[in-house]
Amino acid sequence: MTQMKKYQLGEFEEIVMLTVGVLYGEAYGVSIKKEIESRLKRGVSVGALQTALKRLEDKGYLKSHEGKVTEERAGRPKKYFQITAYGKKAMEYTKSTRDELWSAIPKVALDVKFS
Amino acid sequence: MKKSTPPHLPLRFFRWFCHPKLRDSIEGDLMELYVERKNKSGKLKADLKFIGDVVLLFRPSIIRSAEGYQTLNTYGMLKNYFKISWRNLVKQKMYSSIKIGGFAVGVAACLLIALFIKDELLYDKHYSSQLYRVLGVITEEGNIKKGLAFPAPMAAALKEDFAEVEEAGRYNNSELFGAGPNQVRPDGVEDNAYDEGFVYFDQALLNMLNLKFIQGNPKTALLQPRAIVITKSKADKYFPNTDAVGKLLVVNNRAEQPYTIGGVIEDFKPTSHIQFDFLIGTEGLQFWEGEQKTWNASNYATYIKVQEGVDVAALEAKLSKGIIEKYFIPNMIKDGMPQTEIDKVFKEKNAHLELQPLSKVHLYSSDIDDNLVHGDIRMVWLFGGIALFVLLIAVINFVNLSTAKSANRAKEIGLRKAVGSLRSNIVSQFLLESVMFSLISFLIGLAMAGLLLPYFNMISGKSIVLPWTEVWFGPSLLAFALGVGVLAGIYPSLYLSAFKPIQVLKGNLTRGAKSSPLRSTLVVFQFSTSIILIVGTLVIYRQMNFILNKKVGYDKEQVLLLQGTNTLGGQVVTFAEELRALPQVVEVTTGDYLPVRGSKRNGNNFWNEGREDIDPGVSSQFWRVDPFYVNALGLKLVEGRNFSRELASDSSAIIINQKMAKQLGGNMLGKRIYNYASLWTVVGIVEDFHFESLREDIQPLGMVLGVEASVLAVKLQSGNMSESIQILTSVWNKFAPHQPIRYSFLDERYAAMYADVQRMGRIFTSFATLAIVVACLGLFALSAFMVEQRSKEISVRLILGATVNNVFQMLTWNFLKLVVVAFILAVPLAWYLMTKWLEDYAFRTDISWDVFAITGFTAIMIALLTISYQSIKAAMMNPVNSLRSE
Repeated sequence: MTQMKKYQLGEFEEIVMLTVGVLYGEAYGVSIKKEIESRLKRGVSVGALQTALKRLEDKGYLKSHEGKVTEERAGRPKKYFQITAYGKKAMEYTKSTRDELWSAIPKVALDVKFS
Repeated sequence: MKKSTPPHLPLRFFRWFCHPKLRDSIEGDLMELYVERKNKSGKLKADLKFIGDVVLLFRPSIIRSAEGYQTLNTYGMLKNYFKISWRNLVKQKMYSSIKIGGFAVGVAACLLIALFIKDELLYDKHYSSQLYRVLGVITEEGNIKKGLAFPAPMAAALKEDFAEVEEAGRYNNSELFGAGPNQVRPDGVEDNAYDEGFVYFDQALLNMLNLKFIQGNPKTALLQPRAIVITKSKADKYFPNTDAVGKLLVVNNRAEQPYTIGGVIEDFKPTSHIQFDFLIGTEGLQFWEGEQKTWNASNYATYIKVQEGVDVAALEAKLSKGIIEKYFIPNMIKDGMPQTEIDKVFKEKNAHLELQPLSKVHLYSSDIDDNLVHGDIRMVWLFGGIALFVLLIAVINFVNLSTAKSANRAKEIGLRKAVGSLRSNIVSQFLLESVMFSLISFLIGLAMAGLLLPYFNMISGKSIVLPWTEVWFGPSLLAFALGVGVLAGIYPSLYLSAFKPIQVLKGNLTRGAKSSPLRSTLVVFQFSTSIILIVGTLVIYRQMNFILNKKVGYDKEQVLLLQGTNTLGGQVVTFAEELRALPQVVEVTTGDYLPVRGSKRNGNNFWNEGREDIDPGVSSQFWRVDPFYVNALGLKLVEGRNFSRELASDSSAIIINQKMAKQLGGNMLGKRIYNYASLWTVVGIVEDFHFESLREDIQPLGMVLGVEASVLAVKLQSGNMSESIQILTSVWNKFAPHQPIRYSFLDERYAAMYADVQRMGRIFTSFATLAIVVACLGLFALSAFMVEQRSKEISVRLILGATVNNVFQMLTWNFLKLVVVAFILAVPLAWYLMTKWLEDYAFRTDISWDVFAITGFTAIMIALLTISYQSIKAAMMNPVNSLRSE
């Protein structure tokens, strides 16, 4: 139980983590937003995204560094995100719990459902 | 590329609320998105989306924390200070509750008194500042006497002769002319009601005071003959739910001469020195032929309104000179007064006029005989002083306890310093702590004040409410709480922050086992204050006792005063006869002129026959009584005889008191004396009796026969009082079926004259109790502390064979010494103050030594009881308990 608590990752947080992983090296606010929007076909507000990023960073799953200043950003730096080792563990844990659950579902249940 | 800026306001809002750490990168994202959206779908859509994003960003994890960014560190420290303060407070429940409780008591007392003072200072502030009351001032035998009564035509003269005087108006509230209490009923109603507050009032004064009219025309309300203006409460009483204007009021059953109501005004504010209910107009009024023209009778209080910007001091001198030279002196010459006498009045006795601003009437008139109820600036000072003292004692307790408990905090302070705290940090820590205590105390004090308010109103004779709804109340209270908190915290914080870390941590702190000089001083101060208050209380009660038991020269017991008998008209004599026949009644007499304050009075001058143009005359009282007066009141005739109804010549007989006899030259029996009315033959001399307050000396008095009576004094047999009253009532109802019987008792009226002394006594008792309680709290905590500090020493002593008694004495004596010192300091001061207070009374008790003996004994006993609880506890304890924890 304590384990689970330790690696708690919400659904949206998990998506953000995965996207940061996908965008490896190029993950910052706008690019993450666009990536999620294009892949998942759902709108993401800047507020929701930034809140999730901050929370993940506070938890230690992500780390960030500031990138170069560009003109279209009115002189504001980009903040690039990267998954930490701890973050990776959390993702793996989440995935494994999902897999465990998947494998625990009796075949019958699924058959019935999808038939 | 075109310069593109998102809407300004949302951006600024975002910058304001966003956490500084996140601000730049998020703003960058927003900008990037904005530019992109604008290029794709136009400025409007981009703007809207931008605003939407900003609004959605406004969520807890993005918003900057209230803790601030830069000051994060200090905040943490502050939090720690609060935590430690709170832990200390909870850990030492007794000390904390004494600290806070004492403080709260002080605050409650202060608050109540501040409200009282505010109320007193508010008097008459709602009237125009251009209004002045005219005072007549004369110096007689070294005493300055001030009076209000002036001749009727003076107001008109003031207005006419001086351009600076914009308006002048008068009132006459003398019972001689029918002002004061009367029987009243609306025309057409049968039953009379009793009401007070009748007065003769000028329309001009009505205008000057700018009274608010509910009905009627303010400018003309009193301009008709026999017009009357009544207050709203009286209008509601007599003419409920109707327009009272134009209705008729019958006063004292004189139905043939009713008054017409010209207007209804709002009740006078409680903070007005003028408090009347029935204002009878003076238009066409004269009490006798030529009364309104004469300068020989002074019955009118006169008010003026000066022009704006007038130099009042200069006007005062000018008025005084003008009126005296143009009216008073010519009038005296006309009356045949010799020039030497006139000079004596105006030069030697310096008779002159003064102007008193209305705002000063309430508090600065204790030396003016104006028949009004008013406050006294000395009371305001006294109250203020007491409030300050109580607060001071509470603050002292606080300081005392904080420093006494310093040993417990020493390690904490040493450690704080060792890890880098500056002295200023420690100072602010303890200031904060004391402010916290102060705030808690204020909350409790406020609640206490609210609970005590009814009691306080009772003893102070006011109707104060806590002004919650007023804007200034909350903030000023808060400011006061902070101020007092800081004040009380300064010394302890400086004291505690001065500890040297190394010494303290080594355990080398002098733990204050010996009481420090400062602490001793504070205890002495507290007890001195308490002792002064106890002495004050005792002396006031003794004076009260003295007054109530003093032989005043007449018999005030068992005398019932039947009021409102003037409505019986000619029947009053028959009524009196019928009463006299009752077995329960000893005697019945006219009681208009009674030997208590507030009864009818009539000042007059008397001369020996033929000397009226030569001598200054004896100013005295001139009463009309009946032949039964002397017996009914038990006056003692020292010479001559009482009036006799059989002798027709007694209509010009006079009975005088010893004072009058002495001032007229002595040996007066059988001699003839003169006043303005006629020549009287002295048939008897009565022993002096106190017909005014004991504050004043006994005045000369002459009594002649007269019948008119609005009060009957009935001397009853001792015995069943309620039965006697029942019988009286049945007789009364036979004579006056439409007027309820109304009576009081002479001894009650006498006691009521000294209501202020009683009030003063109660106030002193309350505050003395308060001061003692707070002082005891302090002493209790201090002794507990001392015992705690010396517990090891006591244990060792006990083991080595000290008896409980030894230990008790050792611990007690330390504190008793202080109480004794306080006593020695307080006694002379208390003696001086109370002697001053007693000087107000021409007749007074002495301050005897036993007052101080009782006070000293009380103070020591209280102190002893307070300390002994702790001392005995310490002496009885098992020494092992404190020794084993080495």
